[in-house]
Amino acid sequence: MNGPAVWALVVLGLGVVVVRRRSTAVGLVTAQALVLVGVALSRARTGNDVLAAAALAVRAVAFAGLLMFLVSRTRELRPVRAKVAAPVRAGLALGFALALTWLVPISPAADHYAYQGVLALVAFGVSTVATRRATLFHVLGIVLVENGLALAALTLHGGSSLEIELGVTLDLTLLTLVASVFHERIFAEFGAGDAGALRSLRD
Amino acid sequence: MTSALFLAEAVVAVPVLAAAGAAVIPARMVQRVAVLGMALTAALALGFGAVVLRVPNRPADGSWVALDALGAILVPVIGLVGLASVMLSASYLRTSTTSVVGPQRRERIYYVVLLVFIATLLAVPIAGNLALAWLLIEATTATSALLVGFSGRRRALEAGWKYLILTSLGLGVALLGLGLLAGGLPGDGWTGLSWHHLGHYAGGHNEALVAYVLVLVGLAAKVGWAPVHNWLPDAHSEAPPPVSALLSAALLPAVLVVAWRVERAIGPAVGPRSAQRILIVFGLASLAVAVPFLWQSLAWKRLLAYSSLEHMGVLALGIGFGSPLALAGVAVHIVGHALAKSLGFYASTPLLAHDPRCAGHAPSGIGRSAPGLGTAMGVSLGALAGLPPSPLFVSEVMILAGGYGSGHAWAATAAAALLALGFLGLAHALLEVLAGKSRRRTTAHPVDLGGVVALSVGATGLLLGLTAVAFSLPGSALVSALVRGAS
Repeated sequence: MNGPAVWALVVLGLGVVVVRRRSTAVGLVTAQALVLVGVALSRARTGNDVLAAAALAVRAVAFAGLLMFLVSRTRELRPVRAKVAAPVRAGLALGFALALTWLVPISPAADHYAYQGVLALVAFGVSTVATRRATLFHVLGIVLVENGLALAALTLHGGSSLEIELGVTLDLTLLTLVASVFHERIFAEFGAGDAGALRSLRD
Repeated sequence: MTSALFLAEAVVAVPVLAAAGAAVIPARMVQRVAVLGMALTAALALGFGAVVLRVPNRPADGSWVALDALGAILVPVIGLVGLASVMLSASYLRTSTTSVVGPQRRERIYYVVLLVFIATLLAVPIAGNLALAWLLIEATTATSALLVGFSGRRRALEAGWKYLILTSLGLGVALLGLGLLAGGLPGDGWTGLSWHHLGHYAGGHNEALVAYVLVLVGLAAKVGWAPVHNWLPDAHSEAPPPVSALLSAALLPAVLVVAWRVERAIGPAVGPRSAQRILIVFGLASLAVAVPFLWQSLAWKRLLAYSSLEHMGVLALGIGFGSPLALAGVAVHIVGHALAKSLGFYASTPLLAHDPRCAGHAPSGIGRSAPGLGTAMGVSLGALAGLPPSPLFVSEVMILAGGYGSGHAWAATAAAALLALGFLGLAHALLEVLAGKSRRRTTAHPVDLGGVVALSVGATGLLLGLTAVAFSLPGSALVSALVRGAS
């Protein structure tokens, strides 16, 4: 696996954890997806592999469009403050990523370098959801995890299958559309896309 | 094409076609098309169950469709609960005034999304491949989250958002586990994750164990097993009642069946005892978390939601114990829980019309103020509590006896104690519902109880029939098929 590509994916992922603005984070996630498209194309051997890469590309562009549309429709007066300061978020995310790479054994046949990248991206996605209050960042956290898993799919023996790639693309698109509907409604009801306001259901 | 395969494809295709029809036809016909489509789907689902159960020991063949006993039990349950939910949705839409979409499109969008949700639910237990099952489960999240938040009220939006984010994240973790598993399957990549091929996992023990834990934790977030259950009480209590019934009676067991198949397929690589112990831990944790809430004075739907957590724990224990008797108990429990729980959720629409304060407070004295409604709630709660002759009493005894028989005495004893405490909590709620002091002061408008009374009569008959069937299950071909599982 191409080392600089994995590093680029990881650095872009960490960027999502620390940046303040939603539009910047959308740009980082999109750049990450485009790097994945590049990786998929460089590893493509059959027509189906190229189609699977095309599905990834469509997903990247569609998400960028949808998420930027959402950002423009739900302008915040000021960015929703995260629960945790940026350096602490970065530290937590890196610590979680290191713990995962230490805990999760990797098959000897698998590409260790790429798999460590996968685990880091999953850790960054979970950290984003756990430490950010802006609802759009929750969606970006899930997309980050899915980008990591797309990398996992590309590094398997058989590569990513067209059926699964199309299925994941369709699922994720559906999920993002539904999350968009919720984000807009939450913004309309609560006056901000702030998960901190969602605290009425307690026993 | 075999008749079972044809029925499997038709049972998913018909609700999809009905949804497509509902999306384009004139608004006044939407409800009728939805009911007709679901009636046909339920008939096909029953046919599928009957055809597959004629040969329950069909081996997994690596194809995209699984025709086994688990699917044969669950598909008819989903079909019937789906039909009842679609039929009772009209009454929910009449009484509910708010929605996440505009009033003109409200009914159409509700039925289209509901039918697509039911179609994906029906596809989950017949998916012959773990990756396909994952995709379908993820699809149920998208559709059902929209339904959970359908009322557009603040609490519903909160519940829907929590459900969407937590279960999606959980499924992301499960997908990581799938990736690790696929790495241990020579050559085939993701498409090699069929139930048949999974049995030939050739990676190391540690890799298998970590992958299994990741998949199970991810699925647990969707089944609602403690400690990753946070979304469950909120989503079940804030969703429209017909959707709550589907979430509890169909979605949770459908995902549980996938977890069960994973345990069967990966168990040999992980070590059967380790694989079972993890499920037992989830089961006991779910019981331990649920029981204190069953003792609280909770609003009706919230009480039912915590009861779902308890029953999913019981099912995890049964699968974890793994003995033929325990697995027979699991089969009975899935069906009995679905019947009793859906009846309880269906009763909540007339309950809220009868006494709107029950949206936020525990119901009391319903048996006195509205005997028909009180009967429906009493049948549901009595069955869920495990009050004899409820089939859930029989299934819980079978599961516990199976636990002792398979050498899990400590877990079975702890479960028995927790179940007894849970029974006391629900029995108290049952007494309150039937004979407590009625808080209702006015008779604002008459409540239509026809549908729920008819359902309670039907459900009572089915529950008693299930109790009778439960006694004949041990030693049957169905149970031997469940023991064989997907291996």
